[in-house]
Amino acid sequence: MTVIIRIERLCKSFGGIVVADNFSLDISAGEILGLIGPNGAGKTSLFNLISGIYPADSGAIYLHDKALTHLSMAQRSRSGISRTWQNMRLFSTMSVIENLLVATRLYQGERLFSVLFHLKELKKIDEASREKGFQILKRMNLESLMDASITDLTFGQQKLVGLARALMHDGSCLLLDEPMAGVEGAAYELMGDIVREQAQLGRAVCVVEHNISFVKHLCKTAVFMANGKILERGNIDQLLASQTLETLYFGGQRS
Amino acid sequence: MEYVLSVIVLMGIYIILSTSFNLIIGYGGLISIAHPIFFAIGAYTTGLCSLHFNTFPLVSLLLSGAAAIVFSLMLSLSSLRISGDYLLITSIGFQLGLLEVIKHLGFTGGASGLGNIPNVVIDLDRSGFFAASSVSIALLVVLFIRWILNGPYGLLISAMRDDEVAFVALGRNAMKIKLVIFAIGSGCAGLAGGLYAYYYQYVSPEQFEILQSSMILTMVVVGGMGSQWGPVVGAVLLLFMPQAIGFLNFPPSVMAPLQGLIYSLLVIIFMFLRPQGLLAARKRVQ
Amino acid sequence: MTFEFLLQILWTGVAVASYVVLFSMAFALILKVVKIWNFTQAGLMGASFYTIYICLNYFALPLLPAVVIGYGVTVCAALLFNRWVIETLRARNSSSLTFFILTLVISQFMIYFFALCFGTEPLSLSKNIMSGVHLVGGIVISNWDLQAVGLTTGVLLVLYVFLNQTNMGQFMSAVADNASLAKLYGIDVSRVYIYTFCIAAFLMTVGMYLFGLKVSMIPETPLQMMLFAVIATLLGGIGNIFGAALAAVLLSLIQALSIFVIPSKWQSLILYVFLFVTILFFPQGFSIAKLKSLLQFKRT
Repeated sequence: MTVIIRIERLCKSFGGIVVADNFSLDISAGEILGLIGPNGAGKTSLFNLISGIYPADSGAIYLHDKALTHLSMAQRSRSGISRTWQNMRLFSTMSVIENLLVATRLYQGERLFSVLFHLKELKKIDEASREKGFQILKRMNLESLMDASITDLTFGQQKLVGLARALMHDGSCLLLDEPMAGVEGAAYELMGDIVREQAQLGRAVCVVEHNISFVKHLCKTAVFMANGKILERGNIDQLLASQTLETLYFGGQRS
Repeated sequence: MEYVLSVIVLMGIYIILSTSFNLIIGYGGLISIAHPIFFAIGAYTTGLCSLHFNTFPLVSLLLSGAAAIVFSLMLSLSSLRISGDYLLITSIGFQLGLLEVIKHLGFTGGASGLGNIPNVVIDLDRSGFFAASSVSIALLVVLFIRWILNGPYGLLISAMRDDEVAFVALGRNAMKIKLVIFAIGSGCAGLAGGLYAYYYQYVSPEQFEILQSSMILTMVVVGGMGSQWGPVVGAVLLLFMPQAIGFLNFPPSVMAPLQGLIYSLLVIIFMFLRPQGLLAARKRVQ
Repeated sequence: MTFEFLLQILWTGVAVASYVVLFSMAFALILKVVKIWNFTQAGLMGASFYTIYICLNYFALPLLPAVVIGYGVTVCAALLFNRWVIETLRARNSSSLTFFILTLVISQFMIYFFALCFGTEPLSLSKNIMSGVHLVGGIVISNWDLQAVGLTTGVLLVLYVFLNQTNMGQFMSAVADNASLAKLYGIDVSRVYIYTFCIAAFLMTVGMYLFGLKVSMIPETPLQMMLFAVIATLLGGIGNIFGAALAAVLLSLIQALSIFVIPSKWQSLILYVFLFVTILFFPQGFSIAKLKSLLQFKRT
């Protein structure tokens, strides 16, 4: 399996707090990797380091063997990093479909020149994008809400739109930050199915989750993280049975 | 009649100024109070071109807009590179600094201003022509900005305003968009400056001080920041205010600070009681 | 250009730096503890000045009572501002855009109010600009110079002791670091803010007192002074009050020494050049490391 994203000896600390401690990891195409660990382990920070919200102190990240170190957040995104956020970060004054339209990796309307002088081509590209967005929303049973305002959606629906936006972005590496938090029922099943489909398409998926059953349901392998370090990596069932996890999550043995 | 026409000319100019400022601060979220300096740059450019080179009026106006855009890039490139928070401070410095420079340069006429700008309207009713031009140009500017905001570029502007981090994480170049918004807004201000110079035939630095910043800010805040027609309403309403207090017949040394006082007070009242302004910004989706 | 002349310029530069230091520290203190860019400072500075002016010229009060009343008015204005404006905006979770615009417009409002009351003629606190002078080694040292340097140094020392040795001073540092954490430890954050504004108002009043004795001013002058304070705050590093003071001294000296390099009519522009250099190259504050990396064109 081709490795899509490779992280090598990443280090990052904020003052005294270490969020990445010589962290190395790689994720291959088609893999759905679960990232679990207690709060403050550095899971979201890892995503932020990959996205480029802040630079690492040392170490490197490679996407398709291309180093991301000197790339800006926007550049990394365009290279193929798609992500969702813990607090969704949807564009609240816009409609659902509009949230998706601005998410395409190459947005032609970004060049004012195109807007002013190539309006016809822009219209064609816009129609194609709309169609793509519509298909994504249809897969999520949200197509009737296409033109609805974000603020009119339920929490679960908003979470799905967040995922839809990341899918619209179409990156080869998909980072999902607690996608299931607060979601239940039909949306839960749907999300799991969609994430599996995306992996089958060849994306490298990494999911940060506290919902262990979702992780078990979805991921074959997982990484257990604490204090910026990988403590265990491997098969999900083995991991869940491990002692270290029990101690760190529950503060001691359960049985 | 003459008087009414002169008010209409001024109204057109201020509609351009308030609408373009609203683009920068209301839509772009760029906190700059230096809008009057681009107005000034446009006015001086037209004045100087007309005085020394007798350029064709439309050409002067275009040059005014272009000059304002160039200067706007000087300000925006330097400040936005770091963080939008610093833009306010640098914009104050930019405005006051450039005004100092203008006051000390010879060819701008220094502190006493640039006069004797040639009259470009001959054989026609001067005031009538200017009133018509002013309103037409204002309408064009408003429609142009509306067209941008309602199109694909406008989508970007809304998204950037809603959540810039998520926006950039989708691969968008927020910096470039801010530079473009700032340039368009400032360019329109420059255009208004050209119009101003041609009508009044006299330009001086004190017409572009902080009082102007207050006035334009008041128009946008009262009219409705981030709404498309709000600034127009703000401009029209606030231009009637000096006329209203003009009847009190105070000496000019009292009129100017009194106007400034009322403008600032209006901004304060509105920001506390009705921050969305008279015409609240509609969401893109109803 | 003699050595004496150079010393004279340096001395006068240091003396003039006194009020700039005070204004800069006031601005830096409020930014550090209350965490707002207090653009209302220009209005408050004006309030100080004009109150002292009225006391001196309309009520014929002696200098000290006039300054005390000036302080009283400034403190009241600052505390009202804190109570009605800052707390309201905080409660509403207003954006920084709102804070910036509102504080700036309130300053403008106050400036227009002063312009309405006092006109735009330059006013001064002293009847005659020339105070007594002494000649020390060929350098002219005026009484004002001595008072300015003495008073400012005294205030700096007291402030240093206060911030580092007293309980309230340490509470202020705690709140500056992390206000919510400080609250959890039982520190009354609103009280800390009140103390901060009281100290800042004191710095502003002393500064305006010195300034008003030396220079005559118009209602807009505090805006320019405040800009100087902002630049010094940035250059000194946000959160570093004494850094801002040092930056203020250095900037004043550079401005004074610039007379050797540029014609006097362009001197006022130095301030704006400083502003751009600071924002462009030292937005996190001046540091030798940053300077070195800039000189080597290294990527920071």
